[in-house]
Amino acid sequence: MMYPYLFLPLAGLLLVIFQTSVLNIFFMGRINVEISLILVIYAGFRMNVLQGALFSFLLGFFLDCAMGSISGLFTLIYVCIFFISVLVSIRVYAEQISLIIGFSFLCSIFEGLMIVLFFKIMYDINMLGSIVQVFLPQALVVSALSPLFFKLFHFFEVSFHDGNPQPAK
Amino acid sequence: MMFPKKYWTITLASLLILAALIMISYHATKQDSDTGFFRRLVLEAAWPLESLKNTSLKALRESWDRYLFLIGLEAENRRLRKENHLLENQLVQYREGYLDALRLRKILKLQEQLDIIPVIAEVIDREQSPLFKSILIDKGTAHGLKVGLPVLSDQGIAGRITECSWHISRIMLVVDVNSNVSVLLQRSRTHGVLQGAGAAGCRLKYVPKAEEVKVGDAVISSGLGGIFPKGIILGVVAAVDKKEGGFFQRIDVQPSVDFGKLEEVVVLNPQKDRKP
Repeated sequence: MMYPYLFLPLAGLLLVIFQTSVLNIFFMGRINVEISLILVIYAGFRMNVLQGALFSFLLGFFLDCAMGSISGLFTLIYVCIFFISVLVSIRVYAEQISLIIGFSFLCSIFEGLMIVLFFKIMYDINMLGSIVQVFLPQALVVSALSPLFFKLFHFFEVSFHDGNPQPAK
Repeated sequence: MMFPKKYWTITLASLLILAALIMISYHATKQDSDTGFFRRLVLEAAWPLESLKNTSLKALRESWDRYLFLIGLEAENRRLRKENHLLENQLVQYREGYLDALRLRKILKLQEQLDIIPVIAEVIDREQSPLFKSILIDKGTAHGLKVGLPVLSDQGIAGRITECSWHISRIMLVVDVNSNVSVLLQRSRTHGVLQGAGAAGCRLKYVPKAEEVKVGDAVISSGLGGIFPKGIILGVVAAVDKKEGGFFQRIDVQPSVDFGKLEEVVVLNPQKDRKP
């Protein structure tokens, strides 16, 4: 079926735009509520590897474009998080809420560390302070919202597959 | 299949990570170059939603600003209204003060002309019956007043004291039906008696038909009778009728004093005790 390959990028693009424009209003631009990150983790837990990997790649690219960051930064991070999620989902039962919350938190922190590291290596900019100020609150918000969005994504998946979602790995 | 199935995931991951790294490298080396095609595509795709969001936000912000503006406007309006009210009150007070000063100046002028001791009194009550017209003033015997003293306003003769208590006196106005004042017509020097007619004003009596009286002629006190000083205005001729039977003509006089608006009067007390 070609539908997922057409529908998912469009949905991902809309999600990224919604996330970077509308959602940021509620947090006054101080915290970036990364629903796209939750979606990448969801894709790692639920979707097949090829589809999920491409989707994560595109989501990262869209986020790079939408946020005006360096092309490939979020693409790289999302691809990495997707494959980490795939690895985790193979080894543990990925339906537990506590696991979703904890893993989302860790992924968000990982993302922050990647960004800090990237800027340190590329431009020799020290962004360690922003881990506590930006990435930690962001990770808390993302992890708190992750169960809700997992349910929401599941609902969409069920609707998309006519009531037959892909089982958790 | 080119790769064994168990390496498929690793291969895919490596390819995607490599692609991302190439993108980063490309971006790092070509920082000044134009925006890439795909990036432009994403930006273009984002435009309608961004535009919608901005329009909505703008409308929301404008509504909010308008709401805040209206709240501010309402508060300012309330403040300005209060300020306006305060200023109006002040203006009324100043106007009152100005009018008081004008009246008092006239009264003082009168005092200089008549060589009397004026007692300025405030009107505290009015008798409102159609025929009997009197007022109460806030001065009495304690202030040197006594029955019979003439009472003037800045517009002319008002009446005379008919009752006198310690601190209150009653003034019979010239329009009271019991009031009779000896007067003369200023232009023709014709003598007569001005009798009160209640709400109708006054009537000048005992002026023979042979005398020429014109509407608008000033009626002044004659000084006869010893109550009112001579030459103070009482009113003007409003109507003359010679057709009535009898020896005298009927003359209606419009009092010079507006009794409805009388607020202060001056009682003329002859200066018997004044040293030369």
